[in-house]
Amino acid sequence: MNQPYISIRHLSKKFSKDFVLKDVNAELQKGEILGFLGPSGAGKTTTIKILTGQLRPTSGEAEVLGLPCNRIDETIYEQIGIVTDVSGVYERMSVYDNLKYFARLLNVPLKEIDPLLKRIGLYEHRKKPASRLSKGQTQRLILARAVLHEPKILFLDEPTSGLDPSTALEVHKMLLELKNEGMSIFLTTHNMEEATKLCDHVALLNEGVIVEYGTPQEICLKYNKVKKYKVQLTDGTKHFLVQSPEASDQIAQWLCSGIIETIHSCEPTLETVFLEVTGRELQ
Amino acid sequence: MKASERNPASENTVNIPDTRVLRLRPVHLRKLAAIAEVKGKVLFSKNFIIMPAFSLGFTLLMKVIYGAAAQGEFNTNVYALTLGVLMNICMEGVYCTAAALAEEKEKNTLRTLMTSSVNGLEFFIGSLIPVVLMSTVVNVLCIFIAGFDMGILQWAAFLAVTVACSAISAVIGMIFGIYTKTQVSAGTITTPALLILMMIPLFRGFNDTLEMISEFLFTGIIYNAISNINSSLPVTDVKGIIILAAEFILSVIVFLALYRKNGFER
Repeated sequence: MNQPYISIRHLSKKFSKDFVLKDVNAELQKGEILGFLGPSGAGKTTTIKILTGQLRPTSGEAEVLGLPCNRIDETIYEQIGIVTDVSGVYERMSVYDNLKYFARLLNVPLKEIDPLLKRIGLYEHRKKPASRLSKGQTQRLILARAVLHEPKILFLDEPTSGLDPSTALEVHKMLLELKNEGMSIFLTTHNMEEATKLCDHVALLNEGVIVEYGTPQEICLKYNKVKKYKVQLTDGTKHFLVQSPEASDQIAQWLCSGIIETIHSCEPTLETVFLEVTGRELQ
Repeated sequence: MKASERNPASENTVNIPDTRVLRLRPVHLRKLAAIAEVKGKVLFSKNFIIMPAFSLGFTLLMKVIYGAAAQGEFNTNVYALTLGVLMNICMEGVYCTAAALAEEKEKNTLRTLMTSSVNGLEFFIGSLIPVVLMSTVVNVLCIFIAGFDMGILQWAAFLAVTVACSAISAVIGMIFGIYTKTQVSAGTITTPALLILMMIPLFRGFNDTLEMISEFLFTGIIYNAISNINSSLPVTDVKGIIILAAEFILSVIVFLALYRKNGFER
């Protein structure tokens, strides 16, 4: 296997006397999306800050593109893109000028700005001052700025937080496109649907500790101990059945009678797994 | 609540490595030009353009008022020019630089810049260039407004002294900018310094102490320079040059010391 783009080994971070990260281990491979999933205060933003050189770890190691995170410099910043909740835009400048500024800083040809604006749906707004963009548009502008130089790794700190569902879907679509183009993405979120949909691997983070790590499917199946089925009959009644000989007979009887409208197996979701493991809700 | 919010940044090692230490990293002209251009545009925004405009207007006003009061008995151009240039160098250099840095912090664009391959030295130089340039242009305009007629040597001396003073005031502005987090606090924190830097040379004649302090201030040196510019006296002397050089070096050292401690963002 190739060297991982991000390697986190026994990473801990302490503020005053409180540990916000404890012995965290994770890896991000090329072309993969790794999600850190957890509620507010779980240590997600701290992890991103450490990985992007904005905070120093208390102990442990983290490497980004082979370089220890406490030695990150311009050469690494030229290969990563960062979208955080505090990523600012130059409000007086137009959408185009915002991207033009960073294109010049990152040595990106200016001709690449317009196609990117079209791709993120801001081409019609390119002359508009950034201060007049909606929150969703601003978030897309920040995302565009972060991927302008086609970074190897994209760090996203709750990228769809506060966005309406349709804008969030657009962001998801774009992230999947970027992944398919070979970009690696480190994502933090407290939205389990987002994590399930986007991430190849997920770390469930609770109070600084990774309580589960794996693919979303692996994690969900691991906790799929009690098989349940949800059956809706043609008369509109819904039934939840736990797998058993009696339940099988009942379902067979309904099937023979032809009164089943829908039938679904009820696997656990990341949210229910998180609740089961930590006793806390994600949201 | 996020971990970052729960734990105040100041209590720990919040740092952006490339901003904390002004190491001898390569300075890219392309980045300098981009930063200077954007910073230059900021100086033309309504929050900042008022400062040079005020200096120009004040020079004109003083020329008219003093001109009417003097009724041709003495040369009022020196007074008008001194006030205009002093005001411009302090307002443009100290206030605008501090406020522009504070605005970058307030809007979180500085952090974005620093994590977009801009190093501290590039940001520092790129921020100073437009301030010094604009300050110099306004100082030159003040000369025309005040009605000075100067020869080449006087022009050269005037430009040398004002550019040096603009650079010193801009570095002082960066020092204040490190401490401020918003434009409002930048205005509050720089006001006393501006008053001291401007008023001491203006009131130097009131007593010997002010006279002595003024001799060691860059604003005092520029005051002397303008006073002497239309006379046979030298614009400044070796002592003045040494003081200007020392104040520039001292302000850079103070800036670096604070920068090493806090970075551009605490």
